[in-house]
Amino acid sequence: MTQDRPIEVVPHPEAVAILLSQHTGAICKPLVNKRDRVTVGQMIGKADAFISAPVHSPVAGIVKDIALQSHAVLGRELAVIIETDPQADTAILPACDHFKASFDESAWSAEQICDAVRNAGIVGMGGAGFPTPVKIEPNPKMPRDTLIINACECEPYITCDYRVMLEWTHQVIAGIKLARRVLGCKRVIIGIEDNKPRAAEVLREVIGPAGEIEVVIVKTKYPQGSERQLIRSLLGRTVPTGGIPPMIGLCVLNVQTCAAIAEGVVLQRPLTHRVVTIAGRAIAKPGNYYVPIGMAVGDLVQHCGGLTDPAARVILGGPMMGMAIADLSTPITKTSGALTFLTRQEVTEAKFQQRQTACIRCGRCLTVCPEHLNPTRIAHAVKAAKMDIAQDYYLTACIDCGCCSYVCPAKIELTGYIKTGKVLLARQKKTIPS
Amino acid sequence: MLSKITVAPAPHIARSHSTQSIMLDVILALCPAMLAGMWLFHHFAVVLLIACIGSCMLTEWACNWIRRKPNSLDDLSAMVSGILLAMSLPPALPYWAAIIGSVFAIAVGKMVFGGLGCNVFNPAMIGRAFLTASFGTLMTTWTVPATMDAQMPTLRPDAAIATTQATPLAWSKEAIKGKTDASVVAAQRWDSFVGQVGGCLGETSALAMLIGGAYLLIRGTISWQIPVSALLAAAVCATIGFLINPARYMSPDLHILTGGLLMGVFFIATDPVTAPLSGRGMLIFGAGVGGLTMLIRMVGEYPEGVMYAVLIMNAFTPLIDRFCKLIPAGGKVNG
Repeated sequence: MTQDRPIEVVPHPEAVAILLSQHTGAICKPLVNKRDRVTVGQMIGKADAFISAPVHSPVAGIVKDIALQSHAVLGRELAVIIETDPQADTAILPACDHFKASFDESAWSAEQICDAVRNAGIVGMGGAGFPTPVKIEPNPKMPRDTLIINACECEPYITCDYRVMLEWTHQVIAGIKLARRVLGCKRVIIGIEDNKPRAAEVLREVIGPAGEIEVVIVKTKYPQGSERQLIRSLLGRTVPTGGIPPMIGLCVLNVQTCAAIAEGVVLQRPLTHRVVTIAGRAIAKPGNYYVPIGMAVGDLVQHCGGLTDPAARVILGGPMMGMAIADLSTPITKTSGALTFLTRQEVTEAKFQQRQTACIRCGRCLTVCPEHLNPTRIAHAVKAAKMDIAQDYYLTACIDCGCCSYVCPAKIELTGYIKTGKVLLARQKKTIPS
Repeated sequence: MLSKITVAPAPHIARSHSTQSIMLDVILALCPAMLAGMWLFHHFAVVLLIACIGSCMLTEWACNWIRRKPNSLDDLSAMVSGILLAMSLPPALPYWAAIIGSVFAIAVGKMVFGGLGCNVFNPAMIGRAFLTASFGTLMTTWTVPATMDAQMPTLRPDAAIATTQATPLAWSKEAIKGKTDASVVAAQRWDSFVGQVGGCLGETSALAMLIGGAYLLIRGTISWQIPVSALLAAAVCATIGFLINPARYMSPDLHILTGGLLMGVFFIATDPVTAPLSGRGMLIFGAGVGGLTMLIRMVGEYPEGVMYAVLIMNAFTPLIDRFCKLIPAGGKVNG
């Protein structure tokens, strides 16, 4: 496993492709043209919509093209492709050394922090990619009393947030303090799984005995890193179906997002690099890497010593929710917390050999569903194109965690059907083009 | 090397169990009962098991072949149905009757609905119900276990009939009718526990059924709701009867130990295909099975009621599923 591998800085590749859609919300419009020269941290894409986040160049170089690139979720999407200029480019190192225990957030006003977070293009780095400024900006309709820091890894295999907590502790705490200042929350809770005692210890040491920020240990179980589940574990409160945490007065931020907030506000450095866990048996050098956003998966594979022989699946994300990709030119985005390389054996035992049978109605999917849904009913309704039944059984309340497919003895791709159903439903409602 | 990379929907890992391994678990759990059957009824047990398992599997293969469907024998569900049917038949039933029951169980009870996962009723119980309706006398002829009698009856029908005895539940029925006293059955308490009484091949030994049921519960192959609520419902009904008139109604522990109740609650009612999906639904279903069984035993004309109780509750399963629709963790959505 990779939890004991320190964060290693990856040198900039020859070219990067910055996707113009790396977040929930409006897709950015490019601000640069072909053959333009860009500098490190220059804003290269922006949208005027409220729910959006600008994108920046992680390298200095020349815009080679603005073209379609593989996107793990959306298929193909516009990206700004930048060729790195080795003369002009400078290495970007993690900013953790700039932060000390004596950090005082009162030097910045709430407006300053909000503007800085907006300009830095910060989005939720746990995976959903919801623009952070929208989450932390004061909203009189939805006052928030508690800030929850999600320090649980989203999935097995992923260790990037753990390493960030260990190595960038001061920076994370600085980010939390800045977010708290904007939100005006009385209570701050860091929810951390009980398999990371060292991280909890380090965080408690830095916070000190003042106890303004609580560190609460929760059970290690999947999907504890899902915000709805974490809220339930920490506070025993439930976010309404189809709702979001601010409706019950909460704001949930991921630890790496907090680190990015600190960097964006204090150093005015936009979000251009992130820590990615490279995991699985099918990669020669697994570990935690500080990667420029926009680097192709293939370049990263080369840096990590290449694939080992029985490589069977390349997953952008973790093994439970990650997207399997076929095109290794797919770039890393702001939300890519991990790249998992599974060997045939790691997948085979469960997935390749066993034949799919009809649903035997054993009800295991109902037992494991963290949202108390009826996955088999929804999946079979989607399969039969009966969207009204699927909706009646709360298709849209599914959080895509994959638990139902994981336990299904009949090996039915329940999560796959449910995700397909959500896309079909969105098309029916014409919210996305077909 | 890159050409070997595959894509598939998430999740990319899964638990290693399968439909086949679940069926195998059930077969393993039935082993103590099968061994007990062989110990008690010698070759009768072997003949019945071979006839039922063989013809169930052959029928499933033939139905698939006729429908040009892929062979589904490797999911082992036909084998489970075969064993369950054999276990619920009287030991001296001629092999040809067992074969007729098996063919009906699989062809009409399961394959006409579309095979595994689609049947409404438990196939083994459909087969048994068909045999009960067709061969009433053969289905109520109970051989004396070999361990009780020095002379093991032979396969010849006249010899088998010559050495039969009433089952504990038949005695219980006589007691309810006032022809005898329920204490007759109470004397057979220990014999019912180990299986030295008349009865169906697999259901005589309560001990073997308890071992199998415990195995399934510990392995998580069946959920606890159906057995627990069925046994509770049965115990409550039996207690009421016992308190009213202990001379006519036998005690709850005897009701649970005798007849097919233990096999019913651990192996028949827990058939996932024909039981409700949700835990709440399973509780209702189990209570229905337990309650109806006792209703038939104590009020109805038949001495035993597990089969009809399970079949009736199977018919209610879709209704129970609709009634017990889950509420999402975040509550219902308005509008």
